[in-house]
Amino acid sequence: MAEIKKFPYAKEVKLPPELEGWEEMYPHHRLFTEEMEEWDNGHFWFQDKIHAPEPMYPLDDIFQEAWQIALSQYTTRVFCIPPAQGIAQRMLGCYMYITPVEPPPQEIIGEKAELFGKRVFYVFENYDNLWAKWLEKFQALGREMAAVKIPKELPKFVPDEDVFPYPKGTTEAYEIIESFNTIISQIFKAWQYHFEYLNLAYLAYLMFVDTARKLFPGIKESTIGKMVAGAEVSMFRPEEELCRLSRLAVAQPPVNEILKKEIPAEEKIRELKSTEAGRVWLEEMERIKDPWFYVSCGSGWYHYEGSWINKMDIPFSYMKSYVERLEKGEKIERSLTAISEERDRIVDEYRELIKSEDDKKSFDDAYKVVRTIYRYAEDHLFWVEHWLHTIWFEKIREFGEVLTKYGLLKQSDDIFLFNRFEVPMLLEDLATSWALGVNAPHRGTYWMKIAEKREKILEAAKKWIPVPALGVPPEEVSEPFTVMLWGITTEKVAEWIKGTAVETKDITEIKGFASSTGITEGPARVLKLLEDVVQLQPGEIMVAPCTNPSWAPVFTKIKAAVTDIGGLTSHAAIVSREYGLPAVTGTGIATSVIKTGDIIRVDGSTGTVTIIKRA
Amino acid sequence: MEGVAPPCLKIHGGLFMGEKWIYWLHELGQEDNNIVGKKCANLGELTKAGFRVPPGFALSVEAYKRFMDKTGVAERLQGYLKDFTADPDNMAHAMRFEEASRELRAIAESVSMPPDMEETVKTYYEALCKNAGCKELYVATRSAGPVSHPGQYETYLNVCGEEDVVKNIIKVWSSTLNTRSLIARARLGLSLYYDPIGVAVLTMVDAKAAGVIFTLNPVNGDTSKVAIEGSFGYGEAVVSGNVTPDRYLVDKVTLEIEEKVISDKGSEYVLNPDTREMEYRELPPEKRKAPCLEDREVIELTKIAKKVEAHFRCPQDIEYSISRTIPFPEGIFLVQARPESVWGKKKKESVLGKKTGFQLLLERATTPVKVRL
Repeated sequence: MAEIKKFPYAKEVKLPPELEGWEEMYPHHRLFTEEMEEWDNGHFWFQDKIHAPEPMYPLDDIFQEAWQIALSQYTTRVFCIPPAQGIAQRMLGCYMYITPVEPPPQEIIGEKAELFGKRVFYVFENYDNLWAKWLEKFQALGREMAAVKIPKELPKFVPDEDVFPYPKGTTEAYEIIESFNTIISQIFKAWQYHFEYLNLAYLAYLMFVDTARKLFPGIKESTIGKMVAGAEVSMFRPEEELCRLSRLAVAQPPVNEILKKEIPAEEKIRELKSTEAGRVWLEEMERIKDPWFYVSCGSGWYHYEGSWINKMDIPFSYMKSYVERLEKGEKIERSLTAISEERDRIVDEYRELIKSEDDKKSFDDAYKVVRTIYRYAEDHLFWVEHWLHTIWFEKIREFGEVLTKYGLLKQSDDIFLFNRFEVPMLLEDLATSWALGVNAPHRGTYWMKIAEKREKILEAAKKWIPVPALGVPPEEVSEPFTVMLWGITTEKVAEWIKGTAVETKDITEIKGFASSTGITEGPARVLKLLEDVVQLQPGEIMVAPCTNPSWAPVFTKIKAAVTDIGGLTSHAAIVSREYGLPAVTGTGIATSVIKTGDIIRVDGSTGTVTIIKRA
Repeated sequence: MEGVAPPCLKIHGGLFMGEKWIYWLHELGQEDNNIVGKKCANLGELTKAGFRVPPGFALSVEAYKRFMDKTGVAERLQGYLKDFTADPDNMAHAMRFEEASRELRAIAESVSMPPDMEETVKTYYEALCKNAGCKELYVATRSAGPVSHPGQYETYLNVCGEEDVVKNIIKVWSSTLNTRSLIARARLGLSLYYDPIGVAVLTMVDAKAAGVIFTLNPVNGDTSKVAIEGSFGYGEAVVSGNVTPDRYLVDKVTLEIEEKVISDKGSEYVLNPDTREMEYRELPPEKRKAPCLEDREVIELTKIAKKVEAHFRCPQDIEYSISRTIPFPEGIFLVQARPESVWGKKKKESVLGKKTGFQLLLERATTPVKVRL
């Protein structure tokens, strides 16, 4: 097999014919285009499997758009990380590619270093206070978004109260346009906040990795992960609340009996309402629902993943198994103290191995720095990607509903087939036809035709396996976040180059991060969406694109975990270590190579997954 | 049970002889380095500290002197050497040293031990056998210099029976007269006829596997790792480098086996029961690439090594032996522990340059991550 030195340029990528017209879904400035060709071809692009593993629905692309600006600006203009610049994005065949921008000229690096010293030092000195402020303003923003009023219908005539004692001056036609503009501003703002301390958190982590490696050249990244991981972070709260509600249920019969039934959540809620104990329990659930049930069933990046609050079968199925386990006398909670104690033991014992007193001091200080801020990496995730995105999706669906009601869309989720610059056109079309008066037409057939076509393109895009990278790999990448966030390593690129030449069915060994030690063998269960969880059998090995806290209860059933995306501090890695399950994360291709029923061997110590027998 | 002697023997060893020249291992400690030699002192220290060491006893440097002086060997050696001249740095003179060594060793090995010494050694050996519950225990007689001469003096394995023990102790003494030590002493300008050393007489562990442990990664000096090498049979196979051992790297803190390299070990070093000689025997094909240690043994060795390091307060180079007959974990024995010589001697220099956490952060922020593609 001849060695492939480069990946195709964007223009050279052969897309399946079914994708024709894909580029109409995204605004011009999101594409590889002629006027940027020289710059684009001069960069090495790789498919962003962390934020955009699936084909991008046009409206879901808004988060990507927002982070391109937000992530980059904190590095280049705010905290001024000296040699680093931003990360640029492009869409190709409905998938997103990214590239780090090369370092700025030397004099800019110097200017930035000065600002960095001043500003970053301040953040670390005041982080606790700053975090409190952050949370306060972020929660306020979320509440504002939740409070945005979207007209449910456009009335035949505005009511009297809009005229007396003095006219309101605006109507639903305006309000529907305004509310969309408002919510767009809010989501952009949320993403501005999202990166406020994230780059610094990652930087601190990378600094600690370096420090630990200088002292202990062979220290594993999984061990460092154990040292910095926080136990009491917001991201684990939803699961803790489920455990608590399950205990309450067991203490308040017949709540436990109702929760154990094999019926949909909706019916369980109805039955609970009919008993006194059930009503008390439901009241408690309602009390904590916002925010703790505002958790995505996926990554939070796609509207179709849904959240607990609109897929109540998911939290109820977890509580069913928790109640059953509690009644068998099992313990269901993660022991937070045990996790913290183990973390402290590891840190202390490593510290004791440091020979020089000066180094001990530096190590302590470096550890303090990383511990100060690293929890931001875990905390922000709940508040932004889960809580606020849940609110956002709920709100967007309200727009979808109005558009559907008046025949501009077939169904409310079709709104996600239009990008954020197009939705205002649909809303304006609706507002115009309403304003023009009874029987004035709108262009619903046109919008519906587009929606139908795009749905087909996205279906085709799902079946297409995008090339992992574009352009010529440079000799080295210098950018502080690429490595950690996307797990881009020399080996990874070599693996991609290899992968482009081999058919997936011929692959028998997959490499990823050695995220949790141990070796095990068993049948694979490929779970593309959390809904597939119902098919999972105890003792199977989970193979998933990535996991998040709403998947946590899955880990009590499985033998090992394999993911496409995520490094050593990803959710799957952390939880696997807690449960002592072998895990290989960030394989990039596991869900496309492995099929349910294949017998696989997971070696979490070397990061290897071997397909022993095809199903 | 390690080498517990009846009290009468202790008195015996001390009373008759004026200065005491024979000791049970548990009577010794690090501080006895100059009395019995490093190896014996360290084995004594390990025994006293509660580590599992094969039971045994030690003959002190004084015993060597007594033998050499009381038997008149010393005088005869000096007599022979009176006319000996040779330049240790001249390759052509190597033959002269070899010839001298042959003659000198013949003199030393031709005489018997003074009767009182012989009787004492036999009594100690008998007690060792009795404690082990067998008649004729296999022991190793090992040299133990107050200064380390790795590989210079000789060790005899699988020595069995009181006569043989006495004979082999004399052979260890006479190994101070082997060619390479004569040349070494000549280079340093030391007297050639005499280099008092101690001798350890240790119960043989019927080894199914054995090898070496470093309480750091010898490749990069990483003190958070324990490196273990092992091979089938007796440890000499690994120590001498005659066999490519299996290699393990274990994290001291998480106790995870992070690297495991199973080698083609080719042969094992074992006792040939017919000739009663040690020999390299080729392994059957299915065993050559089989791991010589179980994972639980690797973890247990790591735990033991950590304790040894903590006891001596510096990185250690340890030899271990795992018994074929005694079940896990009681079958794991330490047969040697000494300070690791390469990294252990390095000064405790700072690698982080007294930087604060924030300085380290700044350093990180100004150094781009470089991924070579």
